[in-house]
Amino acid sequence: MRAFDEWLLNFTDNPLNVALLAGAAFLVALSFLWLDQVVFYTTLIVKSFRRNVLRSTLTSMAIMVLVLVVTLVWSVLNLLDKVTSDKARDFKAIVSERWQIPSQMPYSYVSGLARGGARTGSDIVPMDSMTWTFYGGTTDPVNRTRENIVFFFGMNPQKMMLIQRDEKGNPLRDRDGKLIYSSMMDDIDQATEEEMLDLDRHCREMEKDRSKVVIGRDKLDSMKKKIGERIKVTSFNYPGVDLEVEIVGTFPKGRYDASSLVNIQYILDGIDAWKQKNGKPHPMAEKCLNLVWLKVPDTEAFRQVADQIITSPEFKSPAVKVETASSGIASFLDSYRDLLWAVRWILVPAILATMVLVIANAISISVRERRTEMAVLKVLGFSPTQVMILVLGEAIFIGVISGMISAGIAYIAINARGGLKFPIAFFPAFKVPDEAIWWGLMIGGATGVLGSLLPAWSARSVKVAEVFSKTA
Amino acid sequence: MSLIDLLWIVPVGSALLLLTGGLVVTLPLSIVLLFVLAAQLVGLLRRVPFTYNLRNLLVRWKTNILTTIAFICVVALLTFMLAFVNGMYYLTSNTGNPSNVFVLADGATDELFSNLGYGDVKEIALQPGVLKDEDGMPLASWELYCVVNQPILVRKCPVCGDLVPVDRFGRELIEHGSPRCEGSGRSIVGSRGRRLLQVRGIEDPAKSGKVHSIPLKVGNWFSQSGVQALQGSTSAEQAVQAVIGEGLSRELGPDAGKRALEVGDTFDLGPRKWVVTGIMDSSGSTFDSEIWAKFQLVGQQFGKPTYTTCVLRTKDEEDAIKLAQFLKTDYKKPAVSAQQETVYYAGLNTTNQQFLYATIVVMLIMAIGCAFGVMNTMFAAIAQRTKDIGVLRIIGYSRWQILTSFFMEALALAVFGGLIGISIGSLCHGLSATSNIASGPGGGKSVVIKLVVDHYVILTGMGFSLFMGCVGGLIPALSAIRLKPLESLR
Repeated sequence: MRAFDEWLLNFTDNPLNVALLAGAAFLVALSFLWLDQVVFYTTLIVKSFRRNVLRSTLTSMAIMVLVLVVTLVWSVLNLLDKVTSDKARDFKAIVSERWQIPSQMPYSYVSGLARGGARTGSDIVPMDSMTWTFYGGTTDPVNRTRENIVFFFGMNPQKMMLIQRDEKGNPLRDRDGKLIYSSMMDDIDQATEEEMLDLDRHCREMEKDRSKVVIGRDKLDSMKKKIGERIKVTSFNYPGVDLEVEIVGTFPKGRYDASSLVNIQYILDGIDAWKQKNGKPHPMAEKCLNLVWLKVPDTEAFRQVADQIITSPEFKSPAVKVETASSGIASFLDSYRDLLWAVRWILVPAILATMVLVIANAISISVRERRTEMAVLKVLGFSPTQVMILVLGEAIFIGVISGMISAGIAYIAINARGGLKFPIAFFPAFKVPDEAIWWGLMIGGATGVLGSLLPAWSARSVKVAEVFSKTA
Repeated sequence: MSLIDLLWIVPVGSALLLLTGGLVVTLPLSIVLLFVLAAQLVGLLRRVPFTYNLRNLLVRWKTNILTTIAFICVVALLTFMLAFVNGMYYLTSNTGNPSNVFVLADGATDELFSNLGYGDVKEIALQPGVLKDEDGMPLASWELYCVVNQPILVRKCPVCGDLVPVDRFGRELIEHGSPRCEGSGRSIVGSRGRRLLQVRGIEDPAKSGKVHSIPLKVGNWFSQSGVQALQGSTSAEQAVQAVIGEGLSRELGPDAGKRALEVGDTFDLGPRKWVVTGIMDSSGSTFDSEIWAKFQLVGQQFGKPTYTTCVLRTKDEEDAIKLAQFLKTDYKKPAVSAQQETVYYAGLNTTNQQFLYATIVVMLIMAIGCAFGVMNTMFAAIAQRTKDIGVLRIIGYSRWQILTSFFMEALALAVFGGLIGISIGSLCHGLSATSNIASGPGGGKSVVIKLVVDHYVILTGMGFSLFMGCVGGLIPALSAIRLKPLESLR
C-alpha cells in the first residue's frame, strides 16, 4: 500500500499529470450529464469496432507498436530534457578543471572548494559537497574485454548514503515513518527502504575497511563476480596503482546498476604507496580530483559561490570552472546533439505520420465499405454531424485504447527490467516515466483524430439518393 | 519469479512468440513466392493476371497511396538512420594508415588516458622497421592528445541579429547596441554553452602530416615557434598558431559570423587567442575535427606536459604488424601498448554498433507497424474482389497463381514506396553531423561525420521495404486462395 501511496504522490507531483487527470475527471463528469447520449454513441462505436474484428485488430496492433517506439524514444528524450533543465531549488554546482576534459585537479583543492571558495564572513558556504575521482581498471590485464573492465567512482562513501542513527544504532525516522538520511546522489530516493538500509550498511563497512567496494548488479553480472569475492583491479588511468578489493554489496536496483564505488582514501593510499616504492610522486598524484559537487540552495547562491571560486587565487593552477549540473550534463551530451535533434524532429514525427496514415487507411476503407449503412443512418434521422462523430469516435476509440495499452505495457515491461538499456554518455538505462500513460493516450487519440478527419468528412457527405441509386 | 516479472513476461513473451512464429512461416514462404514470381516474369511458369492486379491498384488509388506513403516514411527514415551510422563506420574505417603503428602507454585504452611520460619513450622511434625521412630521422609523430573545453562566448541576438558576447556565467547576453538593444540581458540558458575540441600537440607538423598522410588544403603548417603576433593588435600578446581540420573550420565558423574559418582567422581557446595558419585536407577522417598546434604550447596551456601517443611509419602493412607485435610483447623500456593505426581507429566503433543496433530495433518495430497497415489494405482489397477471385478460379487460374497475383500486388506497393523512400532518404547524403565515437566506457572522440548513402544502405532499404510487403501481403493473399469459386460468386 505504501508503494502505491508513494507512486501516487510522485505521479501527482507532475503538474501535467494533475491537469490531465482533472481534464479526464471533467469529461467523465460531463458524460454523466448526457449519459444516455454517451451510452448510445459508445454502443454504436463498439459495434462498429466489432464489425470487422480483423481490421480493428490490425489497426490496433499497428498503433500499439508505433506508440511503443514513440514511448521508448520519448523516455530517453524526457530524461535528457529533465537533467539538462535547471532546477529552481537545491542546485548542484559542478566544479571541474576549466579547460581540459577529463578534468584533473589536485586533491588539495578539496577543502577550499568544499567551502565554496569562501574567504570572508559574508561569503556563502555550500550546504554540502562531494568529490569524484574516476578510477578505471580491469580484472584481466592480459585479455582485456568490455566485461572485465570496471570504472570506479572514488568518493567518500558517506556521501553516497548516510542514514542517521540513534545511540543504539537504530535508524532514525521522521514523523511519516520515513528514514532520515542524506545522500548527494540523484535518484537514491527511488530505492526501497530495505535497499537504503543495505546501502547504508555497505557504505559504513567501506568507511571501516577501505578495500571494500560496492558494484552495481549489471556490472557484477557482466564480470561474473559475486558479493563477498575479492578481485584485483589493474588500473589503466593510474598505472601502477592496482587495487585489491572485496565486493561488499550492490546498489539499489536501477540507475546505478552499471556503476561501481570505492572509497577515495583507498586510491589515495595506493598513490602514496607508489611514491614510497618509486621514490617520486605518482604522475597522477596532483591530478586525482576529477569533479567536486557543491549543494547550494538556489540560483542566486549558485552565482555567488561560482563567483567566489572563479575569483579565488586558490584555484588558478589549473583554473577551474563552475557550472550547474544541468549545464555540465548538457555539455557532455553535446556530441550527440545532432543525433538527438534528428530523433526528436525527424524520427518521432515520421512515426506519428506513419500512425496517422495507418489509421486514415483503415478508417477510409471502413467508411467506403459502409456507405450504405451511413445512408441508412441518415434516413433514420442521424444528422451529418452525428455520422461524422461516429467515424471520429471509432478512430479515437481504437487510438486511445491501443495507445494506452501499449504505453502501459512499455511502462511495466521496461521498468520491471530496470529501464531501457541504451547507454548514452553516462546514463546506463532510461526508465519509462509515469507520464508515459498520458503519452499513449494522447498520441493514440490525436493520431486517431488526424487520421480520421478526411474519412469522417467523407462519411458526413454521403448522399442518400446516390448510395441507394447504386444499390438499386 | 515475481508478479511484476509475470506482468511483463506474459504480454511481451506472447508478442515475441507470435512474431517469431509469424516470421518463421512468412519469410520462407515469401522467399519461395519471390522465386515463383521471378520465374513467371521470365516466362518459365505460366503467368498470373498481373495486369489485372496493377489495374486494381489504380482503381483503389486513394488507399494505395496512403499505404505507399507509409512505406515511404519508414524507408526514408531507415535510409537516413543507416546513412548516419554508415557515416560513422566510414569515419572509423577511413582514419589511419595501415603502415602506421599506433603506440600508447601500457594499459591505456584511449589516447585520452595515455601518458607516455614514465620513462625514456623516445627510444621507441629508433626501433628497426621504422622508416626514415630524407634527413635520416625516424618517420615518427610524437603527439599529445587532449580534449579541451571551449566556452561559446557569443550568441546571435534574437532581436538585432548581431553576434553578441555572453556574460561570464554564460547565462545571458550582455548589454549591447546603441540605443540599447532589447535583446540585452536576454537569458541564453538551455542553448549550447560550450563545445569540446580535440587538440593535438605535435613537434613537427610537416612530419606529422606525412606520417598521417594528411596534406594541407590551404595555408601553411605552423612555424617552429608555434606563435605569431596578432594582426592589428597593439598588445604584446602572441597568438598560438594552429592548423585545423576542414570539418572543424565549419564548426567554428559561425562564432566568427562566417560559414567556415579561413587562414588568418582567430578563435579563443583556453586562456589564449589562436590563429589559423592552415586547413588540413582531412575530410572523412577523425582528424577533420582536430586542431594541431605546437606540442609545448598545448602541454603548457592545458596542464599535460607529456606525450600521449606516438605514431610510427613503417614500409608496409606487414612491417607495421611485426613492429606492433614486437613493441607490445618484447619492448619493456617502458612497456607500451602498440597496434596498427587502422586497428585502433576501427576499434572506436562501439558507439557505431550501439547506434546500429538501436536503428535496427526501432526500424523493425516500425516495419511491423507498417506491415499491419499493408495487411489492412490487402484484406480490404480482397474483400472487395471476392467475385473477381471466383471468376479467375472458374476461368482456370489455380490457387497458387491467385496467391502470387495478390502477393505481387503488395510487393508492387512495397517496391514503389521503397524506391521513393530511398530517393527521399538519399537526399541526406553528404550532410554533416556531429557524433561521438568510442571504444568503450570513457574516452571517445567528438567528431564531425558526413552521412553516407551507399549501395549497402540502398539495398538494405529496398530489402526492408520488400520485407514489409512480404509480411503484410502474404497473409491476405493466403486468405484469398481459401475462397471457393462458387461461394465467392454468390
